[in-house]
Amino acid sequence: MKKLLRNSILFIIPAIAFMYLADYFFTNQLRKARYDEFGIWNDIFDGKIDSDVAVYGSSRAMVHMDTEILRDSLGANAYNMGVNGHNFWITYLRHLEYLKYNRQPRMIIQSIDVFTLTKRPDLFNPDQFLPYMRGNDLMKDFISSYKGFGKYDYYLPLIRYTGQYKTILDIFKNMVKPGSVRGERIRGYSPQDQAWNDDMDVAFQKFDNFRVDFDTASVVLFDRFLQECKDKNIEVVLVYTPEFIEGQDFVKNRTEILNKFKEFAEKYNLRYFDYSDDPISHNREYFYNASHLNREGATEFTKKLSSDIIRTGGLN
Amino acid sequence: MLFNSIDFALFLPIVFVLYWFVTNRNLKLQNVLILVASYVFYGWWDYRFLSLLVFSTLVDYIVGRGLLKEENQLKRRLLLTTSIVVNLGFLGFFKYYNFFLDNFVAAFTFFGQPIEARSLNVILPVGISFYTFQTLSYSIDVYRRKLEPTKDFIAFAAYVTFFPQLVAGPIERATNLLPQFYKKREFIYSRAIDGLRQILWGLFKKVVIADNAAEYANMIFNNSGDYSGSTLAIGVFLFSIQIYGDFSGYSDIAIGTSRLFGFSLMRNFAFPYFSRDIAEFWRRWHISLSTWFRDYLYIPLGGSKGGTMMKVRNTFIIFIVSGFWHGANWTFVIWGALNALYFLPLLLANKNRTNLEIIAQGKHLPGLKEFMQMLLTFMLTMLAWVFFRAASVEHAFSILGEIFSPSILHAVELPKTVFMVYALIAVFLTMEWMGREQQYAIAKLEVRWPRFARVAIYYGLALAIFLFAGKGQDFIYFQF
Repeated sequence: MKKLLRNSILFIIPAIAFMYLADYFFTNQLRKARYDEFGIWNDIFDGKIDSDVAVYGSSRAMVHMDTEILRDSLGANAYNMGVNGHNFWITYLRHLEYLKYNRQPRMIIQSIDVFTLTKRPDLFNPDQFLPYMRGNDLMKDFISSYKGFGKYDYYLPLIRYTGQYKTILDIFKNMVKPGSVRGERIRGYSPQDQAWNDDMDVAFQKFDNFRVDFDTASVVLFDRFLQECKDKNIEVVLVYTPEFIEGQDFVKNRTEILNKFKEFAEKYNLRYFDYSDDPISHNREYFYNASHLNREGATEFTKKLSSDIIRTGGLN
Repeated sequence: MLFNSIDFALFLPIVFVLYWFVTNRNLKLQNVLILVASYVFYGWWDYRFLSLLVFSTLVDYIVGRGLLKEENQLKRRLLLTTSIVVNLGFLGFFKYYNFFLDNFVAAFTFFGQPIEARSLNVILPVGISFYTFQTLSYSIDVYRRKLEPTKDFIAFAAYVTFFPQLVAGPIERATNLLPQFYKKREFIYSRAIDGLRQILWGLFKKVVIADNAAEYANMIFNNSGDYSGSTLAIGVFLFSIQIYGDFSGYSDIAIGTSRLFGFSLMRNFAFPYFSRDIAEFWRRWHISLSTWFRDYLYIPLGGSKGGTMMKVRNTFIIFIVSGFWHGANWTFVIWGALNALYFLPLLLANKNRTNLEIIAQGKHLPGLKEFMQMLLTFMLTMLAWVFFRAASVEHAFSILGEIFSPSILHAVELPKTVFMVYALIAVFLTMEWMGREQQYAIAKLEVRWPRFARVAIYYGLALAIFLFAGKGQDFIYFQF
């Protein structure tokens, strides 16, 4: 028995030491990374946002709003915090972390769409949380409601990196050749040099049009967010960014969803812009799929949005 | 509690320390500890079903005691019937109620007499098929006077609920496991080390091989309409690897864990994919279930003693019942029947016991004939797995229809990341091949390799588990 205990301890001690060291190493490397969502999270946690205009939303926000055009047009620094594949739940987490480490913006441009107030069960792109989640209760509160991480991942070293070999491989690739892992965003904006693909045709073949139901908790959270911004004197502008006209029929209750956002705008007296029927939404050349603008479309749209903001009172 | 969870990684050392350091002087206390630990282990999923487990234990204990005192054959038979009705009754209700109901409704509708019936939202208690069979084996063996019924309720309850094998086997016979609860267990270092090694190997099989294969197998089976025959064939291959890694991995962890506590469980897998015919495959796959059906169904039905028709009938019965044991779906019945069809030619030609020894024993590689036999057996098994994995019979036929079509020649449409899975499977199968003469692939590492190399391999496996752990999948056999 003694021999077993001794050998087990001799086996486990290096393993535990490795766990702490590897955790420190991976976390440290990712805290320096600029690619994918890491760049945005790192800027948030390092207090480097320094902007008067913040763009919130999903991938549609991320690829639709050019921060340089916003800066040049509005005369104020802008940062795009759109988070790929997520709805308002994670947007709000990002918002809280942002305000914790950075000065607050004067304006938040909140990109809205049919999925903003829904919540998916799985945690999309979970690796983006790896370097920040250990011991971070706020992050735990928000991401533990998804199927993704286990309860020990928030406390024990290295456990959360289990199975993340692609992330680990990227760490080493980036160390050997900095910048070799692509995906750095321009103050959060991610221009897409893509031509129209067959995503929409495939979707039409595979699925019938469907109904999108609100996630009640997300609706409550959105209301809370708007109230908090009002209290903090941050102006929120709701923007339904362009969506290719032929893809708009996919969601049966689209009008009902838009009305919900109009209600919020009225309740909090917000500026509300809907580009669903804008000429951009009718031009396939500006899109790479039904929901996402390419670089050309994003440029055109951001210019239009900036001028609409200026026309309706600019940056207060 | 899942074996591949942090919960279990904490639970196991706690129970181990209590077992060997706190309760080690008192056998009764050790059995109580095992019983409590087993209830905690099981209750971690759903404590409500513990009552079912306790009830089943009580019934078979009382039946056993009754059988000891009773000499009247009719009353003995009645006692055994009670055990069978209660155990199979629970199993039937929780597992098959909706299946039978749906089929009755379908049958009446087919004959022009539509009826209305309300199906129930029944949750299947984890492991019910396993512990039901385990307790049944006790009652049947006591009835047959092959086993002395126990007076020790704690030992009996610990036997029924023994946590390493409670939810997914190996299905232990009372004749093997129960007596181990009567004797003081001795701590043997080499046995404990062997147990740890088998746990490590089991985890590797489950977490690295099965879970990674599952990611693609699930993707392909769940969207089978989108894929060509070639991709579907890859999906079937990956599922074949998944189910083996998953289930044999579980068995390895169960056996290894038992060894840590001084228990010896029966072997459940013996490198089944290295079989040269289907009879050999069934001697090597889920051995505890196959032998259970042999002893408690096939032999009582007459076994292979009667004429040809009797042999054929009995073979079909055990394969179909075995299929049905896996799940309440016609897909499992067809899977069983298909295996019976594979088995039949061997049985009729009296060649079902041809390949009893290990393939290419003492050699590095098999001969061409052996290799071709092995390949054919694996292909036949893969074909049957389509029914096992498919959501319905129609789904299975649609997959097979696509595989046996010109689209089998199309390029495989899978992300490049699948090559990492192929590489892991290649390493795994090589290790399995090299270790096929042992109880499990890395069992003889201690004898064959110097200490530093052994430790390096253990760390390597642990690192592989860390790096390549697939997205947490439940063990497939939990649903059975």
